[in-house]
Amino acid sequence: MPPSNPAQTTLPPNMVPARPTGPPPGSRPPPFASRPPPPGALPSPVAGTAAPPNSAAGPRPGPFSSSPLTSGPSAPPQMSSHGPVSNGPPAFAPGMAQSGPRFPPAMGGMPRPSVGPPQSPPMLSSGPSSQPLQVRPSFGSPPAGVSSSIGQPAPPFSTPSQAPPFSAPSQAPPFSASPQNMPPPPGSSPFSPPVPGVLHSSGSPFGMQTWPPQQQQQQVAPPPPIPGAMQKPQMFGMPPGQPPLPNQSMSLGQTGQSKIDPNQIPRLSTSSSVILHETRHDNQANPPPPATSDYIVKDTGNCSPRYIRCTINQIPCTVDLLSTSAMQLALLVQPLALPHPSEEPIQVVDFGESGPVRCSRCKGYINPFMKFIDQGRRFICNFCGFTDETPRDYHCNLGPDGRRRDADERPELCRGTVEFIASKEYMVRDPMPAVFFFLIDVSMNAIQTGATAAACSAISQVISDLPEGPRTMVGIATFDSTIHFYNLKRALQQPLMLIVPDVQDVYTPLESDVIVQLAECRQHLEILLESIPTMFQNNRIADSAFGAAVKAAFLAMKNTGGKLLVFQSVLPSTGIGSLSAREAEGRSNISAGEKEAHKLLQPVDKTLKTMAIEFAEYQVCVDLFITTQTYVDIASLSVVPKTTGGQVYYYYPFSALSDSAKLYNDLRWNVMRPQGFEAVMRVRCSQGIQVQEYSGNFCKRIPTDVDLPAIDCDKTIMVSLKHDDKLQEGSECAFQCALLYTTVYGQRRIRVSTLSLPCTNMLSNLFRSADLDTQFACILKQAANEIPSGPLAQVRDQATNACINILYSYRKFCATVSSSGQLILPEALKLLPLYTLALLKSNGLRTDGRIDDRSFWMNYISPLPTPLVIPLVYPRMIAIHELDEKELELDDSIIPTSIPLSSEHISDDGIYLLENGQDCLIYVGTSVQQNVLQQLFGISSVEEISNQLEIVQEGRFIRDDVFLLHGRRQDT
Amino acid sequence: MAEFLDLESQDSVRMPWNVLPGTKADAANCVIPISAVYTPLKPLPAATPLLPYSPLRCRNCRSVISPFSIVDFSSINKIWICSFCLQRNHFPPHYQSISEQNLPAELFPQYTTIEYETTAPHEKAQAGSSNVFLFVVDTCVIEEELGFLKSALLQVLGMVPENCLIGLITFGTYVHVHELGFGQLPKVHVFKGTKEVTKDQLLEQMGFFTKRPRPTTGVIAGVRDGLSQESVARFLLPASDCEFVLNSILEELQKDPWPVPSDQRAARCTGTALSLAAHLLGVCVPGSGARIMAFLGGPSTEGPGAIVSKSLSEPIRSHKDLDKDSVPHYHKAVKFYEALSKQLVHQGHVLDVFACALDQMNIEDYFTLRTGYGLVLKAMVGVAELKVAIEKTGGLVVLAESFGHSVFKDSLRRVFQSGDNDLGLSSNGIFEINCSKDIKIQGIIGPCASLDKKGPLCSETVIGQGNTTAWKLCGLDKTTSFYQHGSGQMRLRATTLSRRWVAGPGIKEDLISGFDQEAAAVVMARQVSFKMETESQSAKAYKQI
Repeated sequence: MPPSNPAQTTLPPNMVPARPTGPPPGSRPPPFASRPPPPGALPSPVAGTAAPPNSAAGPRPGPFSSSPLTSGPSAPPQMSSHGPVSNGPPAFAPGMAQSGPRFPPAMGGMPRPSVGPPQSPPMLSSGPSSQPLQVRPSFGSPPAGVSSSIGQPAPPFSTPSQAPPFSAPSQAPPFSASPQNMPPPPGSSPFSPPVPGVLHSSGSPFGMQTWPPQQQQQQVAPPPPIPGAMQKPQMFGMPPGQPPLPNQSMSLGQTGQSKIDPNQIPRLSTSSSVILHETRHDNQANPPPPATSDYIVKDTGNCSPRYIRCTINQIPCTVDLLSTSAMQLALLVQPLALPHPSEEPIQVVDFGESGPVRCSRCKGYINPFMKFIDQGRRFICNFCGFTDETPRDYHCNLGPDGRRRDADERPELCRGTVEFIASKEYMVRDPMPAVFFFLIDVSMNAIQTGATAAACSAISQVISDLPEGPRTMVGIATFDSTIHFYNLKRALQQPLMLIVPDVQDVYTPLESDVIVQLAECRQHLEILLESIPTMFQNNRIADSAFGAAVKAAFLAMKNTGGKLLVFQSVLPSTGIGSLSAREAEGRSNISAGEKEAHKLLQPVDKTLKTMAIEFAEYQVCVDLFITTQTYVDIASLSVVPKTTGGQVYYYYPFSALSDSAKLYNDLRWNVMRPQGFEAVMRVRCSQGIQVQEYSGNFCKRIPTDVDLPAIDCDKTIMVSLKHDDKLQEGSECAFQCALLYTTVYGQRRIRVSTLSLPCTNMLSNLFRSADLDTQFACILKQAANEIPSGPLAQVRDQATNACINILYSYRKFCATVSSSGQLILPEALKLLPLYTLALLKSNGLRTDGRIDDRSFWMNYISPLPTPLVIPLVYPRMIAIHELDEKELELDDSIIPTSIPLSSEHISDDGIYLLENGQDCLIYVGTSVQQNVLQQLFGISSVEEISNQLEIVQEGRFIRDDVFLLHGRRQDT
Repeated sequence: MAEFLDLESQDSVRMPWNVLPGTKADAANCVIPISAVYTPLKPLPAATPLLPYSPLRCRNCRSVISPFSIVDFSSINKIWICSFCLQRNHFPPHYQSISEQNLPAELFPQYTTIEYETTAPHEKAQAGSSNVFLFVVDTCVIEEELGFLKSALLQVLGMVPENCLIGLITFGTYVHVHELGFGQLPKVHVFKGTKEVTKDQLLEQMGFFTKRPRPTTGVIAGVRDGLSQESVARFLLPASDCEFVLNSILEELQKDPWPVPSDQRAARCTGTALSLAAHLLGVCVPGSGARIMAFLGGPSTEGPGAIVSKSLSEPIRSHKDLDKDSVPHYHKAVKFYEALSKQLVHQGHVLDVFACALDQMNIEDYFTLRTGYGLVLKAMVGVAELKVAIEKTGGLVVLAESFGHSVFKDSLRRVFQSGDNDLGLSSNGIFEINCSKDIKIQGIIGPCASLDKKGPLCSETVIGQGNTTAWKLCGLDKTTSFYQHGSGQMRLRATTLSRRWVAGPGIKEDLISGFDQEAAAVVMARQVSFKMETESQSAKAYKQI
């Protein structure tokens, strides 16, 4: 690897991280990156990724586009003639190899307008990344990009130094739209192929028609525009002037030509127009719009894709077909997902004492796909096929179309998602109250970094956002080496502090008055939260008894269950479940550290896991807010939230200045968002398919059910499926997710979402109906699950292979014989290579990341909903210097459409916000107009940004912005 | 009779046999044992001076110089001969001026009992330090009782001298150690009732070492050894400083909040609470006078020292059960309290028990306890086990039917009253006996604890607490030889007795002339009650009388 390669972690000189913390490095003019370890801030995918199809035509080298140079195509030429082998990638090789050498001249002549000031150090932390993490033998090549990258000014978002198997996707214009016959009408569909020249055949993009392979031959690759000058370094393999191969829409040139129109690179479509989506049309399932797009669902039988998305929208009839496709069959279930404000609310159905109608054999809930026969007297279950008697009071005659006459009046017979009111038999006890227990670290470090004060202030502010009513109960406790409970009963003149000193064998000091009705203790709570930071101001206890404190709080909540929100700042060092700084131990013993690196990502022992299972049993959900400046062993701590249906929030390195607002925001959303308690979830499938495994944040006691002490609108569970029989072509396969839960207002409900998809024997159908976002989400989640259990290289290989195998299968079985130099992508999955590459640059899949950062990354992914998966690896970039102009025009859509992560879309006088759903960066161009700066930041020149004060202001600005984005994410 | 009373007023001693039998056989014939009833704190005749210096002790047997010592004024170096071991001792230089006409007060024949005011070097720091009262309050009582108790305690707080240190522990299912020195919030350390806490754990868990590191070696003992005044002052505060806090805590004191099923007794962890109290005092003020005043409302059911299980189906052990040894908790509890008493004795602290219970009163459970001057108080359920700790530390026991009852209220008030009728509470005494070679000491029956000082004077037969010539009396009421007076001074009281002995035939008349009938009755009563408690066959004891 070229030593000069910029690290993945490099930030553009003028990028201002959204969460500035420390003082900016004085020596550097650019104000960004004051936070010490930027690697964690944004996953690398920023680098060298694709631009959207509609982007400006001219190749404009920009700060974001330079990545391909360094990560350059690297396959040696001799591989070029290889036919596709099982791992496929060699297909890329020729083009890459040939394009490689061309880079240097290209670079030389390339204007690099927006790269940061030359005097600025190009990278913040490039050290570790200059080592090749791995060189995949299949791509097998010494990185050919070496020559090209030497001497380059550092690209702002540099690419990883290791040669990615596919090289940066942005340089692969040949990924054209696949030779499918059904590209959507341009502009109207998110699936529209980015390549203008593709021959479109008729048909809706979502249509169900079969796709005869022969039609591929009708496809004509778009005539690749050939840029005249070698301005575009990332092109490779396009034979200039050569007519496209007849049956390939895109190809990697075999002739050594490497010019490619960047416009042809597949990009994420970012249509800002809202899509109207009917879940079923003409009694056929309608493939859903991309998860990241803005759409409004009309539930016409199938549930909204917000609740259940399947990786493939047609179900392979046999397991052989599925394995041939190399795709996985899985559902991403987000039972409480937030609907779009314009969507119809979910209908609530009350069956009274008898409860909802269910199949007597498999217990599947009544849904639109249950078939009524015999004049409505009996019905056939669409899951197990059993014929049941219709309950007498539910009987209704059938109409001429064979449907029940009342089908359209009954939501459970015409809607994919309904909510049943649970009858007594669904309750083992009265619905639990909404209990919120706050547990705050007050050890010396927490006090001194301001974490305690930030937590107290955040809690104090969100008290008013808690659900109203007598069912809302709160409790509070603090801990250092002992645990301090507070008796909040109103009868007392002031709160009484109760100290539990025994952290080996903990207990709750009071049965009742530790958790009281919010209405009863509001005043005490406010006083207390205000005084906690001062009360412990001089605390010299450095130890933190996290495990014991959590256990004690659990004991206090045991009778009711509820949410336990823990604010932790240091490594738990005493009491039950105390941990050691094993990261440092790993560092000191390098040989062992290397070999066992992934062990650090596993929980150190079973103590916390055992505790967490007990918590889950008593319906206690733990959310962990980690506000730290050191290693806290998230790998071990996170077991508790993961098992109890909670989540981890991570503020590292914590800065009271900039993180307080984020902490407040996160906490506020945590308590405000739609959520349920004491939930149980099960997914049922039609005969032939069964659930193989659930994955996400929950507790599993029996294999068929998922226990969720709490579930909210952001939690997603991945359900992988397997065949246990053949399915009938032409039939439909149904999936039903039933979630029994208690609302915050104490109603017991069953939310039932049913999705019925057609079965197919055609491989091409599978590729056509593949759901990119869901497929990638599965790859991502699986990778995250694998990380702790094996060497990193293996995990990276698996992720890459998952992608390659799919593409290879497509090439082998669905595309007609073509030249080996051409890359053929299925239309539906055309961005999969891009995302996979981006994934490989993510925090969790890099060895140079801090252990805690990687652990957090894995934890973040575990419950991550599909719409957030893509931005995590491929962030959204918005030009914010245009913000205020647009603001004047439109009130409701302030956020401009995002622009591709490519240098040609960055201009020197712009300011850009980059956001991945978790962190934000702001890039300020070197020649930004003063008035823009003045408007946005209240400063007159870029240099001033380095000032701490300005960073604070910026923080505020970003916060507003992020909040908007957040709001929109919820809508999407 | 009158002569015995005179002797008593001079020496606070009465003996059944004021003329001693000269041989073992004669002594055996006497039936009533040769013994002395000593009231250590009995007021001395008004004329007796208080000597402002340390006493002279025999360098052989450590006995104190007395009017019975033979002083040789003639020799150049004046010499006194110990009346017990006949050792010749030199007078120290400052006695050089004595002569037959110029005797020090301790040699005056009428001052066979006299007090010295002594201040041992290590005690200097403590001089002037005040008494400590640690209240241990049971909250497993009905609201009404708690109300009575609160008002009684509030009243008492008003009477406590301002310089006295006060601490508060409340308990029920859990033990609450109140941190009185924390201004911002009422703060309580909560310990599990079922689990015994060691002193080290207490030091660790109550944050005694947060401000300054724990000494790596040595014993932690109060401010002198290892603890900062600040950390001690969190729990024990001068009455004047904590009056407000204490008042508000007591006012808000609630009944133990843990629910009690109808078929169960309240979970009352008396043992753990007392043990924590002992640890706390041991950590904060070892060696200086302190009283644990426990206010109990019923039997202990939880943790070490429980006397009965929580289930109401199990009755509290009766005296008969004790006899039959069908008492599952008894021995464990007694063992626990024995350890506790040992600790308290070691620390020099007193345990007082004020027990009021409406339920489960059982006449057979009453037993009598002796105090120094023969006042007999009744004790109740659960005190049988506790007794060992009370008795050895010289504590008080008050039993009443209710905290609202005048017996309780008046008794409590008297403890703190000053004036002529006060109990003159003193503490931390050591009681030593020396005697002539021909007599050996079998033991003591009384509210004190053996210091295990063995010597040739110890008899092989043991009565009461024997095998020693020194005992500790942690708490005294008008009682001891070496004690800490309420004013904080250390005093030593030396009493020396001499009785004639007779031997041979025809001694009977002589012996009878010296027989003190009242003293004999007291001695026999004590011996019998002691036997009844220690021996399972109480019938045997009756027979003996």
